[in-house]
Amino acid sequence: MSATQTITFDDSRLEELAQQEPQAPWGRRTSTFRAAVIPGVLIPAAIIVGLWFYSDLPKPVLMVAVYLPLQLLAAVGAAIAVRGTKSAADAIIIVLAIGATIFSIVVLVSLLWSIFSKGWEAMSTAFLFQNNEYISPSTPLGWGGVGHAVVGTVLIVAISALIAVPLGVMTAVYVTEVRGRAVPYVRFFVQAMSGVPSVVAGLFIFTVLILSGVLSQSAFAGALAYSILMLPTVARTAEEVLRLVPEDLRTGALALGSTRARVVLRVVIPAAKTGIITAAILGVARVVGETAPLLLTSLKNDRTVLNPFKDPITALPTYIFDNVAQPYPDAVVRAWGAALVLMIIVAILFILTRTLSARGPR
Amino acid sequence: MSSTDTESFRDLQSAATSHRGDRIFNRTITLAAFTALIVLAGITVFLGLQTIPVLQTQGLSFLTTSIWVAPDYGIWGMLYGSVLLAVIALVIAVPVSLLLSVFMVFLAPKGVSKVLTNLVDLMAAIPSVIIGLWAFYILDPVSQEWQQLLNQYLGWIPIFKNTSGNFSGTPFTAGFVLAVMMIPIVTSVTREVLGRTPPELINAAEALGCSLWTMLRYVALPYGRGGLVGGVMLGLGRALGETIAVFFVLKIVFEPVNYYDIIESGGGSIATLIVSKFGEAAGPYEVKLLLAAGFFLFMMTLLVNVIANLIVNRTGRLQK
Amino acid sequence: MSAAEFDEMSVESMDELETSLAAEPVTPGTVEMEARDLSVWFGARKVLEGVNIRFPKNTVTALIGPSGCGKSTFIRTLNRLHELIPGAKLAGSVMYEGKDIYAPEVDPVHIRLNIGMVFQKPNPFPSMTIRGNVLSGMKLSGMKRPNHDQIVEETLTAAGLWNEVKDRLNAPAGDLSGGQQQRLVIARSLAVNPHVLLMDEPASALDPGSTLKIEETIRELRKDITIIIVTHNMQQAVRIADNTAFFLSLDGNPGRVIEQGPTTEIFGNPQDQRTLDYVNGRFG
Repeated sequence: MSATQTITFDDSRLEELAQQEPQAPWGRRTSTFRAAVIPGVLIPAAIIVGLWFYSDLPKPVLMVAVYLPLQLLAAVGAAIAVRGTKSAADAIIIVLAIGATIFSIVVLVSLLWSIFSKGWEAMSTAFLFQNNEYISPSTPLGWGGVGHAVVGTVLIVAISALIAVPLGVMTAVYVTEVRGRAVPYVRFFVQAMSGVPSVVAGLFIFTVLILSGVLSQSAFAGALAYSILMLPTVARTAEEVLRLVPEDLRTGALALGSTRARVVLRVVIPAAKTGIITAAILGVARVVGETAPLLLTSLKNDRTVLNPFKDPITALPTYIFDNVAQPYPDAVVRAWGAALVLMIIVAILFILTRTLSARGPR
Repeated sequence: MSSTDTESFRDLQSAATSHRGDRIFNRTITLAAFTALIVLAGITVFLGLQTIPVLQTQGLSFLTTSIWVAPDYGIWGMLYGSVLLAVIALVIAVPVSLLLSVFMVFLAPKGVSKVLTNLVDLMAAIPSVIIGLWAFYILDPVSQEWQQLLNQYLGWIPIFKNTSGNFSGTPFTAGFVLAVMMIPIVTSVTREVLGRTPPELINAAEALGCSLWTMLRYVALPYGRGGLVGGVMLGLGRALGETIAVFFVLKIVFEPVNYYDIIESGGGSIATLIVSKFGEAAGPYEVKLLLAAGFFLFMMTLLVNVIANLIVNRTGRLQK
Repeated sequence: MSAAEFDEMSVESMDELETSLAAEPVTPGTVEMEARDLSVWFGARKVLEGVNIRFPKNTVTALIGPSGCGKSTFIRTLNRLHELIPGAKLAGSVMYEGKDIYAPEVDPVHIRLNIGMVFQKPNPFPSMTIRGNVLSGMKLSGMKRPNHDQIVEETLTAAGLWNEVKDRLNAPAGDLSGGQQQRLVIARSLAVNPHVLLMDEPASALDPGSTLKIEETIRELRKDITIIIVTHNMQQAVRIADNTAFFLSLDGNPGRVIEQGPTTEIFGNPQDQRTLDYVNGRFG
């Protein structure tokens, strides 16, 4: 193009242009890249595999003191060969980031695998449905189980949800719907409350209701402690969900002459229904495995208890607590079994929140 | 809140107060909204009331000495131990969480990152009693081996000294367990903070020829600093208050206070102290002592948590 | 004063425009950058097709056209920012100093340093000071240049911001107004010594006064570097550009360069009916 005349699009070339293949040249690996990165990964790996079998060095030392530095060195070398010295830092970050990811996955897999494999040994109908009456830690597997603990967990969690979910949702309604002057303070206190250690929640209920003789150690006392832990989770999640309800819905309903209360109860909350259910489930998931508060407020009981106000009661976490660190192998297997049952409950709650939030608004 | 929000909010307010049913509704909701305040105040008052007689009989030595033999009681070793465990947990969990979130936000393909997000959330959902069970039977034996090696190769560093030859029930193992619990909590915050680095800043950095490292160092980390610090402190609050997971892997020792021999058996944790002594508490006075210990634990975690939330909120990134 | 009034005030007729441009004759040097048969995709969607443009050294080229015609996408392919978007694909080539910037051995960092970019929304780094922002390119790319104080003064002067900020170089960049921030961003791009500066609607978010300052800056910078600017504002193109390329995407077709040439020709004597309609404000 000379700068003095114009050029217009040449329509006759359209067919030729249509033949062009879309490419991503930035993804192309040069031979230098391959020559640097492949050995950069394979050489440290080969050395470590060799040392793994033919050296007396302890395995953790091998991984931390030999493989990690070796892999870092190789990555830095490869990076310098391909992109120059400026990319050395990137190579280190990438290796460390992948390392941190693998570390976390190993921990998670170790956790899940041990729960599943060890817990599976305990599984039987007796284990799932019987209670712990007449069972001692040395009783062989096949008798006794977590039936009473499952009932206890369900009872305690249900009562705490009955208390904490309405209060949590109302707190959220205050923040997003009533919008009173105290909103920043309310949010601040809810956040502060979410940091209350579970053992302190237990101590609080113990002091106020049990020491004073108002209540005995029971499912209801445990549920009160649980609801302290559950409320902030419900309130914060519900707040986020209510915020997603479009402002138009509110103004629209108000314009039709609806009262503020009706707008909230008939329009806003139904619109955020799935989200509020999610909030409730998240709250339940937050507390279902809590042990410390129950050790103070509901103790343990080998029998199945249905009256939430009267007797001490065992829940899954306290059942695990009692059976860990027993000198009897079968008791330990029972602890793992109960852990598996508890983990399955947690997993179901987890999947529920995921599917619900994928479907509903958020 | 934008200005239009405030305006519509005023309209709604005037509409709201004009109706009697609404006034009742508003009052009920407002009352419920103060539950959090009531509970916090209740904990302070009721545990505080139990603390006064303890301080009267034990004096300040309740906080400054480390002993649990009638008639002398002091929780200094436990308070210190809680902090020590939290520091060990931070040293392990913070780098891992940051690197993990860098991987999820900046390195991994979208699909992988989504799977990792779910895995991290799942990890956060595992109850602490199960983590304690795992720590006691799976981690502790492995950890003993690691600590033996640390002592063997790095024993000349003061913190890796071990003279007893007993590597179980150490602050190291307990701190590691806390780290396992902190990693998902801290990661979920740091991932979100890093993910909210404005794309236009990343674009600007890319246009100036940044590398991953320089982009993190000069753009993403400074931009998200408040949120990152807040996230770490939220994790710290959780670590200070964690009870059961530590209970199984830490041997509670009052005397001598284990200040820095992190791979030596025995240490302290105030939350764990409460649970371990509660069942066998000999009489109402010892219960009061534990309630007082709980009061100081509450104050400590409340302080950390409030600071964390102030930092997070001031940067306004996690709250909409 | 609205932007439209301002435009009318500055350029009242095409005649006046031609005389104003004639006073500053176009000096086409060697070709600095060139797109050859460049087509661009997002996933399976082709957004640009068969773009052929040359950018002579030390000229200002304006890319005009209605929204969604691929101008911004095009400009991002010129310094390899396009590839940061997942699913991005392209065909054809982009030549810079005679070499294809998409050749496998080319380091994109090297390209981005030589071909700077200013975005639509001012994006100074909020955690850095004014001075820190100017020097940020060196930190980010690891480039070493001596005399930082001199660089700060030179580039801020070139961007027309020096007098306004020389007493508060250590103030946070967020304290500046939008127009000042945009000039700061220009100074930041200049500090790494680029040969080409890409500007994606740099004045669209600014008030008329700031726009005028930026335009002055562009005319000044043209002496040293090659500038490629996307603009929605036709009067702006007329005021600052030596050459103009008109992009258009019609009926779901990918964007194409319908017409390109000296600015005076494109606006005064367009060959294509669609160009004529567009520059006369009949669509877009």
